[in-house]
Amino acid sequence: MGFNMRYLELKRKIREVRMWAIQGIAEAGSGHPGASFSAAEIMGTLYFRRMRHDPKNHSWDERDYFINSKAHSAPGFYSTLAVAGYFPPEEIKTLRKLGSRLQGHPVRYSERQKHHSVPGIEYSGGSEGIGLSVGVGIALASRLDGKKNRVYVLIGDGESNEGQIWEASMAAAKFKLDNLVAVLDRNRVQQDGFTEDIMPLDPTKNKWEAFNWQVFEVDGHRVEQLMDALNKASQVKDKPVMIVANTVKGNGVRHMANNPQWHGKAPTKKQTPVLMEELESEFFIAPSIIAGEKENYEQKIKKAEREGVELIHLDVMDGRFVPNNTFLADTIKKLRPSTSLPFDAHLMIEKPIDHIDEYIDARCDIITVHAEACMEDEFAVIQERCLAAGISPGIAINPETDVPKWLYPHLPDLDVVIVMSVNPGFAGQKFIPETLPKMVAVSKELREHGFNGYIEADGGIDATTLQSVYDAGARIFVAGNAVYGNADIHSAMIQLRHKAAVTLEKKLLEHATRLGIRYDWMKVRKHILIPYASELGIEEELNAIK
Amino acid sequence: MLLSSEKKTADMRGAYGDALVELGKSDPRVVCVGGDTTDSLKTKKFGDKFPDRMFNVGIAEANLVSIAAGLSIAGKVAFASTYAAFIPGRAVDQIRNTICYPALNVKLVVSHGGLTVGPDGASHQQIEDLSTMRAIPNMRVIIPADAVAVKHLIKTIADTPGPFYMRLARPTTELIYSESAPAEQFTIGKGNVLTDGSDATIIACGLMVGKALEAAALLKREHGLSVRVVDMFTIKPIDTELVAKCAKETGAIVTAEEHNIIGGLGSAVSETAGETCPVPIKRVGVRDTFGESARDEEVDALLEQYGLTATEIAKSVIETRSRVR
Repeated sequence: MGFNMRYLELKRKIREVRMWAIQGIAEAGSGHPGASFSAAEIMGTLYFRRMRHDPKNHSWDERDYFINSKAHSAPGFYSTLAVAGYFPPEEIKTLRKLGSRLQGHPVRYSERQKHHSVPGIEYSGGSEGIGLSVGVGIALASRLDGKKNRVYVLIGDGESNEGQIWEASMAAAKFKLDNLVAVLDRNRVQQDGFTEDIMPLDPTKNKWEAFNWQVFEVDGHRVEQLMDALNKASQVKDKPVMIVANTVKGNGVRHMANNPQWHGKAPTKKQTPVLMEELESEFFIAPSIIAGEKENYEQKIKKAEREGVELIHLDVMDGRFVPNNTFLADTIKKLRPSTSLPFDAHLMIEKPIDHIDEYIDARCDIITVHAEACMEDEFAVIQERCLAAGISPGIAINPETDVPKWLYPHLPDLDVVIVMSVNPGFAGQKFIPETLPKMVAVSKELREHGFNGYIEADGGIDATTLQSVYDAGARIFVAGNAVYGNADIHSAMIQLRHKAAVTLEKKLLEHATRLGIRYDWMKVRKHILIPYASELGIEEELNAIK
Repeated sequence: MLLSSEKKTADMRGAYGDALVELGKSDPRVVCVGGDTTDSLKTKKFGDKFPDRMFNVGIAEANLVSIAAGLSIAGKVAFASTYAAFIPGRAVDQIRNTICYPALNVKLVVSHGGLTVGPDGASHQQIEDLSTMRAIPNMRVIIPADAVAVKHLIKTIADTPGPFYMRLARPTTELIYSESAPAEQFTIGKGNVLTDGSDATIIACGLMVGKALEAAALLKREHGLSVRVVDMFTIKPIDTELVAKCAKETGAIVTAEEHNIIGGLGSAVSETAGETCPVPIKRVGVRDTFGESARDEEVDALLEQYGLTATEIAKSVIETRSRVR
């Protein structure tokens, strides 16, 4: 068995993992936030989507193995296991304390070690550079037993200094272990500084290729890219697979990101709530490809991809639910191979129940239907089909529509609610400001009734309106004209991200101020705040901080 | 009958290879990892018989023992073998953290322990292994005296879950034990009293067991002393009961090992006697110095130069007895 989580569910769970990890580290007063965060998506994608495993039966004979060679990422690893259901997440707050099951570095679980470990941990790490060899051993044994399982080994770039990594690499190639997949958390930072200063690893990909591995390189914070590589890995024959996952150490907390100082340092307990808010504020920019000049959709997708957008928003219009026509499932199906970016399909169509299978078949990652276009029983079927297919279900409401009461029982499994800030049907409309208080109210109402998903703001979102919808609780921003309406998409994206950053920094600073730690926060955050100082009006204050 | 009645020689490595093949037949979980020394270790015999269960990983001992760890995690009984200079010599960290900490079912069976490795010299003369391996929690340390002991002990460690370190010697040696010695004589943690005596005890292991028997005979012949000889093939867990008993009944102990006098059998016996029944003790072994090359025909001279002889043991017995109050 496994989890096969939906895209947005996966993102949410990984967010939870980071939140637990930071709480554990803060409680312990030591630990490694950097490595926990750089590997969060890698571990999350494996545990919540890819691997066959069963938290209720951790020694299941057919399970896939996960060997965490870079064991100092323990807080992230423990949190991943806890969120997966191996033990109660609250226990993470005992991390590194005397008597805890959560040792500074994870210990293989066994009857003998049950007081110092938790089920699900296969390998005792802590000394670097060993786990890949252990993975080789497990892969050899699994093959000998004719098992169909796979062995995943997470290694670090710092630990790649160890010669044993390369001994294991040669052995895996010699034995043609195509049931072995290594993932390199390439965050480029080790304890003393940047890897390329301490002991250069580049050209990383070439090295592994020269060692006769099949190598895929991905952005290690993009679960869709990780999934893509993992899927490809399962097709490789007679060779072990290395996925070079380019990551940012400390990713998720801006002042920790790519900062060697945070390799093994804990935040203060007082700052934890602010860090939690930052993690909760993770957002997605979803350009709508119907906006802007009429050009090839594929090209628009490519452009967006180069700008590092999180989602591709697909406005499906049938000329009946809305007066306009755009494209239908067949077009999405054709576009699907052009990118690994998740497809956020917004169906502005009549009777979505009659067409839902076409959109599932087109491999959308999120499918949102309009509340105005379906009855409760129809929506129930739509949601069920999406869930069964591992697709995030969503519902959209027009500016004048309230959250239908019949939606309440379906909220716990709903991943998206689009709160329209224009009346759907055309690109390029003006944002309706009255939808802002509505978004706040809707957000509150939904959370009260068990909604854990994301609020998506759609309609007239640009650099001017982004701040208000972000503040109002939206985390997915559909940007149409704000992206494709510009000749220079790159500048447009920078502007949007800048706006989002300013909004976030303002929010967090206010939070820190409420907690009475404004000075400490500004001090730890100084290098991040500098570019926004004038917009936040904190130039003098910031200059005064040594 | 426990002791061999005829003069017969056999090599421990050959016995290991044969025992492994037998194990392989009866237990499909048994696998072996080698490090470019499979011919020398005789694990090649196992590989020839079970090619898919033998993994030669080349000259990479840290990798070797860690792969064995992985095999055991996935349910195998993993034997890992090369020369003692390299396992544990080059892989103590992996043995500690990866194998012993989680108490994995890995059996480190190595040869070329001690000074008798032949002309290779000090780099290959592992005289610290009993000490390093003994100090790691969960590890059990075995050093058989001859090929008969090897045969029985290999089976025992395969059938006993958890990590073991077993050190074999390179030379072909005279059999101590009768080939028909019963398997129960080779119980982990129980020493064998080979000859009884009341004036002193020689506690020996490995190749030095033969020298201990010689020394006892010499002491009887020349000094009329009745000396007990114990083969303490389990260094850890040491047979505390037997050590205490020997201390109490004979009043003096001499230990003999092909190892540094620091940290090995002598230390284990001294610690145990000190805590149970303190008596004068003398440790015969390499006196905290590095060895040197010697051609095979010069091995006896080498051992003599480093004090690993029956004469040295006998002298030590007399000296130790003189300190008995």
